[in-house]
Amino acid sequence: MASNATEENASENENKSEPTPSSSQNENNEPNNPNFECNICLDTAKEAVVSMCGHLFCWPCLSRWLETRPNRSACPVCKAGISRDKVIPLYGRGSGDQTDPRDKTPPRPQGQRSEPENNGMFPGLDMGGGWHVSFGIGAFPFMFFANNVAGFGQAPAPGSPQAAQEQFLSKVFLWVALIFIFWLFIA
Amino acid sequence: MASQNVDPTRVNPNTRKQRDKSELLSGGLHSVTQRLQQDLMTLMCSGEKYVSGFPDGDNLFHWKATITGAEGTAYEGLEYKLEIEFPDRYPFAAPKVKFLTPCYHPNVDNLGTICLDILKDKWSALMDVRTVLLSIHLLLSEPNNKDPLNAEAAQMWQNKTEYAAMVQRKHREHAAKTE
Repeated sequence: MASNATEENASENENKSEPTPSSSQNENNEPNNPNFECNICLDTAKEAVVSMCGHLFCWPCLSRWLETRPNRSACPVCKAGISRDKVIPLYGRGSGDQTDPRDKTPPRPQGQRSEPENNGMFPGLDMGGGWHVSFGIGAFPFMFFANNVAGFGQAPAPGSPQAAQEQFLSKVFLWVALIFIFWLFIA
Repeated sequence: MASQNVDPTRVNPNTRKQRDKSELLSGGLHSVTQRLQQDLMTLMCSGEKYVSGFPDGDNLFHWKATITGAEGTAYEGLEYKLEIEFPDRYPFAAPKVKFLTPCYHPNVDNLGTICLDILKDKWSALMDVRTVLLSIHLLLSEPNNKDPLNAEAAQMWQNKTEYAAMVQRKHREHAAKTE
């Protein structure tokens, strides 16, 4: 065992052009492990990405599948919605030795790091950083909803076009709601 | 002698075409071939009782397949030959499957064309030859009578005995013709 470990350590520093005896032995012990096969080419996933629904693909395979049907992209396995932004690349150990797959075309999407979710008592009313109010008015036959009204120009992710759009929409809805209340008082 | 006067820097269009083809083979078609070999392996190893298939000659993109009707259906014991044509974009595009043996079925026309959603818009890159053949095998006993290619068969489906007799007769007629 000890000799095996030193061999592995040594091989880490070496150029990995040839498999070491220990690693080839491991491969023989687990021939064609189907758990890590791409769902499209049925081969071991290369430049692997995993969808939100948990299905593994080669990035070249998946991107080609998404290209074939740009208007309605569905996971080939479970038909769940899937898109370039909704897959996570998988980086295994030793993948750093290879050339960056994102340099190739089509590029593999970047890993995303989302902020931990806020488990506050009132999910709509968050007084943490920048106040955050959510309210709705319902009146027959009209129904207005003003949601996620971010105050003082503080958006969830500043700078991104989505945040700006969200902010604009919430302001529009706020004004519509206010005008509606005003009209109710007058009438 | 004339060939010596040709500008050596000019690329011969023929050699360029050849190079393009070899690039295509190494990149695109190579992976399709690999995938088709995988499909063949899966089909052979699965030991399916009712379906079988094998490449027709050296061309891996053209297969011949056989489907046998399941017990308890109108197609019981009947063997149907099919032809599968794989596009260069396989598995991103569906293969073209056709009945070679005439098949009396609501969703098969008299040219052997099959109307099946997974061979058209519901195709998924996940599917392989085995799943396609199993789907067609299942289609035999579970036709979609709402959108038939063969309206007569769709109407007759209600009358099980008449339908089974018709299927058997059509199959026998074809067998007699080929002999």
